[in-house]
Amino acid sequence: MFSVILHVSFALFFSPLLLGVVAKTKAFFAGRWGPPLLQPWYDIVKLFRKGSVYSTTTTWVFKLTPVAVLATALLSCIFIPLGTLAPPVYFWGDALFFVYLYGLMRFFLIIGAWDTGSSFEGMGASREAAFSCLSEIILFMDLILLVMVSKSLVLCNMLNTSFFSSWASMGPVLILVVISFFLVLLVENARIPIDDPNTHLELTMVHEVMVLDHSGFDLGLILWGSAVKFFVLGSILISLFIPRHESFMAGMVFFMVGMALLALTVGVVESIMARLRLNSVPHLLTGGFVLALLGFIVILLKGM
Amino acid sequence: MIAFLASLIFLSAGILFLALIRNRPPWARVVFLTSLTAGCVLSFISAVYSLVTQASFAFDGHWAWPWGEFYVGLDTLSAVFLLAVTILCFLAGLYGVGYLKEGCGPEKDLSGHFCLYLVLLLSLVLVVTARNAVLFLLAWEAMSVSSYFLITHYDDKEDVRQAGLLYLVATHVGTFCLWVMFILLGTRAGSMNFDQMTAAQFPLALSGVIFVLAILGFGVKAGFLPLHIWLPHAHPAAPSHVSAVLSGVMIKMGIYGIIRVIMLVKHFPEWCPMLLLGIGIISGVGGVLYALGQHEIKKLLAYHSIENIGIITLGLGTGLWAQLHQYQAIAAIGYAGALLHVFNHAMFKGLLFLSAGSVIRQTHTGEIDSLGGVMKYLPWTGVLFLIGSLAICGLPLFNGFISEWLVYRSLFEGLFSFPLEAVMLIGFAIIALALIGGLALMCFTKAFGAVFLGQARSPHALNLQENPRLMIAPMTLLAAICTWIGIFPNTMAAFCLKAAASISPAGKNVPDIENILRPMAGITLSLGLLTGLCFCLVLLRKMALRSLPVTRSETWGCGYRGSTPRMQYTASSFASPIVLLFREALCLRRSGSRPKQIFPERVHLASEVMDASEHFFWQRVYVWIREICSRLKIIQCGYAQMYVLYIFIFLFLILIWKVT
Repeated sequence: MFSVILHVSFALFFSPLLLGVVAKTKAFFAGRWGPPLLQPWYDIVKLFRKGSVYSTTTTWVFKLTPVAVLATALLSCIFIPLGTLAPPVYFWGDALFFVYLYGLMRFFLIIGAWDTGSSFEGMGASREAAFSCLSEIILFMDLILLVMVSKSLVLCNMLNTSFFSSWASMGPVLILVVISFFLVLLVENARIPIDDPNTHLELTMVHEVMVLDHSGFDLGLILWGSAVKFFVLGSILISLFIPRHESFMAGMVFFMVGMALLALTVGVVESIMARLRLNSVPHLLTGGFVLALLGFIVILLKGM
Repeated sequence: MIAFLASLIFLSAGILFLALIRNRPPWARVVFLTSLTAGCVLSFISAVYSLVTQASFAFDGHWAWPWGEFYVGLDTLSAVFLLAVTILCFLAGLYGVGYLKEGCGPEKDLSGHFCLYLVLLLSLVLVVTARNAVLFLLAWEAMSVSSYFLITHYDDKEDVRQAGLLYLVATHVGTFCLWVMFILLGTRAGSMNFDQMTAAQFPLALSGVIFVLAILGFGVKAGFLPLHIWLPHAHPAAPSHVSAVLSGVMIKMGIYGIIRVIMLVKHFPEWCPMLLLGIGIISGVGGVLYALGQHEIKKLLAYHSIENIGIITLGLGTGLWAQLHQYQAIAAIGYAGALLHVFNHAMFKGLLFLSAGSVIRQTHTGEIDSLGGVMKYLPWTGVLFLIGSLAICGLPLFNGFISEWLVYRSLFEGLFSFPLEAVMLIGFAIIALALIGGLALMCFTKAFGAVFLGQARSPHALNLQENPRLMIAPMTLLAAICTWIGIFPNTMAAFCLKAAASISPAGKNVPDIENILRPMAGITLSLGLLTGLCFCLVLLRKMALRSLPVTRSETWGCGYRGSTPRMQYTASSFASPIVLLFREALCLRRSGSRPKQIFPERVHLASEVMDASEHFFWQRVYVWIREICSRLKIIQCGYAQMYVLYIFIFLFLILIWKVT
């Protein structure tokens, strides 16, 4: 129980910082000083102190959505290693549980959007559902590759530190996994080039417009949930790189540096790229799937 | 076994009584409910007993019929199906009494409908327990015919009659293949009893032929993708409780038949599991894509049945492949996933059809885009439909996840055991299953969101009343079963694993059921944590909001204040990104135009998804058959004397054949 609480609070505490790093990087590229690193934290705290406005159209579904989003995001973090912190819960096949947990989160986000009866939110929900259908197949292709490399269905075995030795033999496959998974990360967390979290026009938003009607405490929960999701998916990617090492602290430091670098990369991608047109997003995702499929072919040729 | 036979007697007695009673609706209802309850409860008990003790029973009532015997038996495989049949038929029957009460007014006599419902139930029970091919086919035929009459309950509507006819034709084409298949099996085994067939050895070529016939014959009933065309017409045409039974258990009889054939024949050529996997991928992805394009809620659910049959078939295919290559553990997981999905699908699809029926009963329309905001009037139905949707999307907390998880697991474990050519196909199967999951989520957020949430899009969805308790209670029970299996999967999964282990012939390495079940504890634990987290957050939120100002206002329209319910996003628009992406495969037809000038005039746009196999394949086959038949018309000259002559010629030919 203690390890679960430790894991969850670790993710809760550090996840907003990651968004702070992204914002700082973007500000740097724009030649600005940018908001402080802790700004996402300040935002959440500010939202938690504000009251809410509920639409008369909404039902309890709308109020359940923020809770479901944060709860599923937090639960998802207990299956993955955070640096040298071993996951508190693992079982054979938890990788599938992990993926479907995000399905649960998405389900609630989408019906929460439907509940407002607003056409903007419906539009965002529709796009989110369509894009994540496509990103899910990339995710599963990556999962297939990781399962075949590690011969395990346990998420932490697929990512754990001894896994680094497989870079020597399975390097090309893992590079393809990393690239396609990075794409999944961008889609799932609504980053540029798929979605622009900072756009001011509701018509062009995907993820942000789905939560347009949430306010105050509820919005705080949702923002925190999204941050945790970014943190969790990011730490999966970083876990693939962590080398084998002995000491606890070294591993943690390596992990934190890795996460900061990831946030930096996302920030750079956001700064140097424009958001894609909506109808060319499926093309990008198809490209990601092709990369993952290539990995599958490589692994089959290598004779597993 | 006695309980089981007693249930058969109760059901037959109920059928007899109902056939005799005329124009006494209260009596008919009492007889129906008594017979239904007694029959279902007794069968349920015997099924559970058989699963717990793992014993199989058989009863052979010697019966003077060429090749036929009244030979019924109950093993673990039959018991799993029997469980689904009894639970769903019982609850749907109760619901049906409430559903039809006002729907057709007091003057219409329902004893005929009730009688046929019991015939369907009895024949379903007999199909899963028959141990003799002739008895099996008789029960199969009774099932098909009684369900035809149940589908055409609202026979004053033209499209209902059409749907019924299509179903009748399709099912008989299937039955024809089954006759041929059982004759092949029977002549080889020297008996029509399943016991002798199990003992017999079949050459590989023959078993390949048998397998294809089984796929065709049972596949029509199950709704494998190119053979499914009757299904999306028949399910919406039937009253909702009948659709629930049709979709929940009757189409599963096709799956039961295929598994039974696998048990009888045991050895198959290499391509058979490949064929199953291929069918699974096509049916699964195709079913859900077509479902996404539907505008009518029951039609959408009907296409989802095809999708779920696809998932079940994926499990069966992996199981069969593993069985042929002696991977007993993977075979057990694959089959168990398929069996559990059969049971789960019966529960959640039953729940969905019944709750959709509750909506239709109140709003008198199933058009998704003319509903909206139904949740405010029908809160219970809304929650139940939500549970069904979460379950059918395979999301954790509900039963759909458990069976999909088992199917996934068999596929993933196949990845690192199977040979190269199988791994490729299995990789595609996993991707297909992932795509099915994503699309199903889109489809059910669409159905639930557009029907139950938001504001009413037309007067149909205004001022509704919640349905009577007699309809809510059965649905609640189904939802409870869905949640129970979702959180504590061990009992049901163990039953399915036992049944699955009995499918493949006991090899050297018997699958270790305990070992397979162990991760389930992890699922239970995680779900416990999830509920705990949700509970804490809800409490926190309550406490925080108590001291904060909470106001109610209208939905934020991005500055625009004059919005009306008609401006809400529609279900069709919601689905359009994916429908447009797959427009070639879905044969999307659009008519009408988009608004053009700055001040646009009134425009009309309609879109429709055409079923490719129906419109481009079967339509052509029909035309072709009709041409052949019109040429054969010369035989039918209209003189009775000629027909008598034909009979004599035929008898004469038979005589010659017998003498030589």
